[in-house]
This record gives sequence, structure tokens and C-alpha cells, in this order.
Amino acid sequence: METKSKLNRLQIGLLLLPGLCVFGVFTVYPIFRLLLMSFFDWNFGAMLRQPFIGLANYRQVMGDDTFWVVFANTVLYTLVTVPGQMALGLFTAVLIHGVTRFRVTFRVICYLPVITSWVIASLVFRYVFNTEGLLNYFLGQVLRIVPGNIRWLDTRWSGLTVAMILGIWKGVGWNMVVFLAALQQVPLDLYEAADMDGCGAARKFLHITLPGIRGTLLFALIMLTIGGFNVFTSIKMITGGKPAHQTDTLLTWMYYKAFSTGKFGYAAALSFVMAAALALLAVLQFRAMQARDAKGGIGRA
Amino acid sequence: MRSLCKSLVVLLVLTLALPCIPALGEAAQEPVTIDFWHHYSAQSAENETLMNVLIPKFEAENPAIRVNAVSHEWAELHDKVLVSAGSGSLPDVARCDIAWLPEFQKMGVLAALDEQPGFADVSGALLASTMKTAEVAGAHYGLALNTNSKILFYNVKMLQDAGVTPPATLDDWADALRKIAGTDANGRQVWGWNEPALSGWNLCPFIWSFGGALVSEDQTVASGYINGPATVKAVETFAALYQEGALTGFNSGDIPMTDGFGTGRYAMMLEGPWKTAELQGAYPDVAYGTAPMPAGEGGSISVLGGEDIAMFTTANQQAAWAFMRFMTGEYAQTEMAKCGQIPVNKAALASDTVKSAPFAPFLDAITTAKARPTVAAWAEIDNDLTGAVTAVISGQQSAQQAMDELAAKVDALLQE
Repeated sequence: METKSKLNRLQIGLLLLPGLCVFGVFTVYPIFRLLLMSFFDWNFGAMLRQPFIGLANYRQVMGDDTFWVVFANTVLYTLVTVPGQMALGLFTAVLIHGVTRFRVTFRVICYLPVITSWVIASLVFRYVFNTEGLLNYFLGQVLRIVPGNIRWLDTRWSGLTVAMILGIWKGVGWNMVVFLAALQQVPLDLYEAADMDGCGAARKFLHITLPGIRGTLLFALIMLTIGGFNVFTSIKMITGGKPAHQTDTLLTWMYYKAFSTGKFGYAAALSFVMAAALALLAVLQFRAMQARDAKGGIGRA
Repeated sequence: MRSLCKSLVVLLVLTLALPCIPALGEAAQEPVTIDFWHHYSAQSAENETLMNVLIPKFEAENPAIRVNAVSHEWAELHDKVLVSAGSGSLPDVARCDIAWLPEFQKMGVLAALDEQPGFADVSGALLASTMKTAEVAGAHYGLALNTNSKILFYNVKMLQDAGVTPPATLDDWADALRKIAGTDANGRQVWGWNEPALSGWNLCPFIWSFGGALVSEDQTVASGYINGPATVKAVETFAALYQEGALTGFNSGDIPMTDGFGTGRYAMMLEGPWKTAELQGAYPDVAYGTAPMPAGEGGSISVLGGEDIAMFTTANQQAAWAFMRFMTGEYAQTEMAKCGQIPVNKAALASDTVKSAPFAPFLDAITTAKARPTVAAWAEIDNDLTGAVTAVISGQQSAQQAMDELAAKVDALLQE
């Protein structure tokens, strides 16, 4: 019996080995190297001598005015796009869940932006929001409601807003699919019972639907928060961080520091600061959900 | 059966060994291959000349050397060298923007050339001002390869309509910009000037011509120069013209330079010799003229651009040096001049090809143009300069305040 279980474990180990090797070589090792790099003056200006400088890179990141600008930009982007995508995604999912005909067609239409390339979508947005772009033409020449062209892409807040609109537009489809799957798992008898109790649609949504898909909501919240912090392509393509890094986010700033100025130590430290912020957020989100779990769930509505 | 197996094994061994046989015989005279990275764009006439004229000629003259030329985007090449330096996979030779050389030198990846055979003769045949761009701390880390500068391009009709002549002084220039700015017959906004970015390459001609400077002569200090009265005046003038709607171009949402100039939205710009071919290709009907950079208290001073050809420490030095000599020689320089590259070889400069080339108007500008500071921290200084001027033109800071803060930052960077 014991030999059999040993054999079993050996078999499991052997089967896991290739996956673990790939994970170790391509994920764990680079992260470990990156961590080491963040404690060294790992910049190309000092390529042949990379002295250990302890926490100096972290201090430099924290003391850098631009870091706080890009950090605020990233947090704002996440704060706006995550609830935006989730609310619109859930709304669309509920609508599609309620119809019986053309359900697949609606799903495909909503999902189209998700499969569009980020680069192409960003370029289209750039074209639309250019100072001489489609939107200004529409507002100024067709509707004639604005006197001159609005500089959408040229200031910090309006540039970021364009990237946020793109982020939401592109993310609604993914949320819709995830929430639609979750909605189908909510037991129908709960709705029937609520009907008999005389509940309206809003109360059913608040007290049955939302608690019923809570797990999926948490999953989406964490995935989208990570996604929000990782925004890169749209910013790089739409504003390029202009004017003077005012619209940069953590990743575009990290890319700039590493590949344009060669300060890899700084960029490595920045990546760990970002990872720490994300981990903290994930823990907080779990806690919040657990607290709500303790207060009430399905059936106790 | 067994004999069949045996013969199969023998056949297999022979098949595997076959490719090695000619290699054994050729090993003695196998040519060395050097990698040459450049940023002549892949579709350009320069690249055609390089691949079909220059490299075949070089390889015919040097049968023991093969050249593997790889084209990169301009910005990508800089970053690629940084990354390759880290992973130890640098090429033998690269064509580098003159602004990158001090940075690469500080990284310790460039080979000093002063000890190469015939260095004095080779460098003596090139323009002294351009060879200066390859000199760091008394040694030479590259050979000047080609040079360029920017001059004023103006749209003839737009200037006529506004009743102005091509500006000779900076005061005329500011007046002209204000007169041109406004709306055209179709109600579209037009600007007097386009400046596509706010980096040193864009701002230096104004700072210098206003009589200002970025750093001291010995390039060790910025305070008193980058925040001196003339530099501040240049930045103030620039910002005021932007705020009045007389110039633009550096915003993400602006019309690209060539399109705006070609379609009559920008009346003037300061651009390099490549713009001639670009306008010819995209807007052949637009009538334009050229003039020197408008003069101020500092004179008419444009910015020196161009490229050096440099050798990395990991290179096959003998082969790399032979290729560098060839590329800076009269033949290669004259051939490249035919596709718009301004030569630095004095003999090539004296040739009829060069004197009648479309870039002839730029040759005068080159004699007075200045190079941007040749310091290792230039990329960061350049970035900080953009940030400071952006703060001024967006009205967040006064020019004096922004340049004072910048001076302190640049002083620290120069000390690094």
C-alpha cells in the first residue's frame, strides 16, 4: 500500500516536473534576478561595475516627483476603468441574460472590442481624439457646438480620459461574458420565491443576483485591478506620456526608465513597489468581500 | 538482415558527416563577418546604396571580410545597443547619432580609435568640427560619418498672403509668426511655425541664437547658463508665441509636421536636408523656399546633427577599422552624398556632386552650427529640458522659475 502511494507521488512529481521547470526558469528565476537588480546600481552607465546600493533605488523611486504623478495616474485609471467596465459589463450581461432571441449575436457584438488589437484600437482612438480629429470635426463642423478645436490629447486629464474611455470600451465585453456565465449559475427557484414574496426587479437584482455572483465579482475585481495597473499599450500609443510624462502610467514610466535611460535598477525597484501596491490591494479586496460574506449571502436577503 | 543494418548505419554516419567535409577544407580562408548596425531606413535610397554599392565594393576590396548590415529604427537602435551591451551581444560597428556617443563611451562599450593604424590620416581627412563630436575626454571613440543641420523652410504663398518676407532676425521671426497665425480662407486654423518636439534638438537653435547656452564651455556646470537671461528670454518668447497660437507641433494631437506644412497649416519650420526629399515625395506641388536660421544676439546658430561610425570593444578590430575607413573615405562619402547624406570627408565635400546636391543650402549652416553638449547624461538632461519647457508653455511655471529648477538638476547630472 505504502509503495503504491510512493509510486503515485513519484508519478505526480514527474508529471509536474516539466511545468515546474518552465515556471522556475521563466518566472521565478527572472523575478529573483529582478529583485537582486533592484538593490544594485544596475544602470548601463555603470555597466561594468554594478555596486550594491541597498535601498537607494527604492528611495530614489519614492523621492521622484514623476513617480508620484504616474502613480496617481495609474490609480486614477484603475479607479475609473474597473468600476466602469464592471458596471457596464454587468448591465449588458443582465440585458442579454433577459432576452431569448439573438443572444449569441448580442454576445458577439459586445465581445468584438475584446478581440480587437490594442494597437489598432489605440490608433483609431488617437485619430478620433486628435486636435484635428473626427470628434472635433463632428463637434465643430457638424453640430457647431464648440467654437474651436478642443485639445483632447494635449493635457494630463483629457489625455488620460481618452485612454480610460478606450479601456472601458475594450473591457466591457470580457466582463459581460464572465458575468453572463455567473448569472446562469444563480438558482432560478430563488427568483421564483422572490416573485411569490412580491419583490420588484431592483430588489431581486440587489438581494439575489448580486450576492449570487459575488465570487465572480471578486474575481473580476482583482483581475481588472491588476489589468488597470498594467495599462501600457493605450498610453504609449495615444499620448506617449506627453506632455512631459504627465500622462505616463507606472509601466510606461518603467519602460522609459529602463530602455531609454538605461536605469534598470530604478525600473526593477519600481516594479516591486508596484507589485507591493497590487498585493496590498488584493488583500484589501479579499478582506472586504469576506466581511460582506459574514454579514449576509443568498437566502438571508 | 544484419548486413543491411550495418550498411544503413554506415550510410547514416556518412550523411551526417557530409556537411563537415567542405568546412574542413575551407577553414583556412573562411572570411570574417562583421555586424554593422545602422539606422538608414530599410526602404531608403541610403540603404540601397549601402547594400548594393558600398558593401559589395568593400567586400571586393577586402575578400577576407564580409559585412552583415542590419537596419534599425533610429530610437530603437539606441535602446537596442543598451540592451545588447547588457547581454554581451553587441555588433562590431554601428552608426550612432552623435548625441549617443558620450553615453556609450561612459558605459565602456566603445573602443578608442587613436591607436588604430593610420588614425591621424583618416581623421585628418574629415571635417574637424564634426570629428569633435566623437571626442570624449581627449580620446576619439568614433569617426564622423555624415553631418547635417537645420535651416528655415517657408511656404512661399503663406508668407506672401501675410505680407511678410522670410525673417532674417529673431524679432522679424516673432512678428512674422504673429502675422501669419489665424485662420485661412476655409476657416481652418493656421500657425506661423511648427516645432515637432521640445527637446534640445528643437530648442537649442533658439537658445543659442538668442545668445544663451545650456552649459559652460567645459560642460561641467549649467547654473548661470541654462537659467541665464538669454536662455530664459528664448524660452519666454517661445512660450508666448505658443500661447498666442502662433506656433505649435509638439502636442500629441497636433497635425504632423510634413502634412501640416504641405497642406498650408504651418507656414515655417526648421528642418534638415531629409525634408527636401520628403516634401518632394509627399507634397511635390507646394512652393517653398529656404533661409538660414533667423539671427539674434548670439548670431544665426543652428544645431549640428549627424552620425558617427563607432567600433565596440567586442569587435574584430582589424576588420571593423577597415570598414570604418572605407565608409569615411571619399568614394563611400560621395556615393552617400548622391542620396542626400552630407559628407564629412573634405575631398568628397569639394566634389561637384556635393556642390550641386539639393542639400547645398545646408552647407553654410553647418559651418556655424553648434553641437549639443557631449556629456554622458545628455539623454536625461534632454528629458528634463523638455519637462521644464513644457511647464512654462502650459503656464504652470514662469520661465525663470522653471529654468532655475532645471539648472540645479542639470548641475547634479553633470557631476554624476
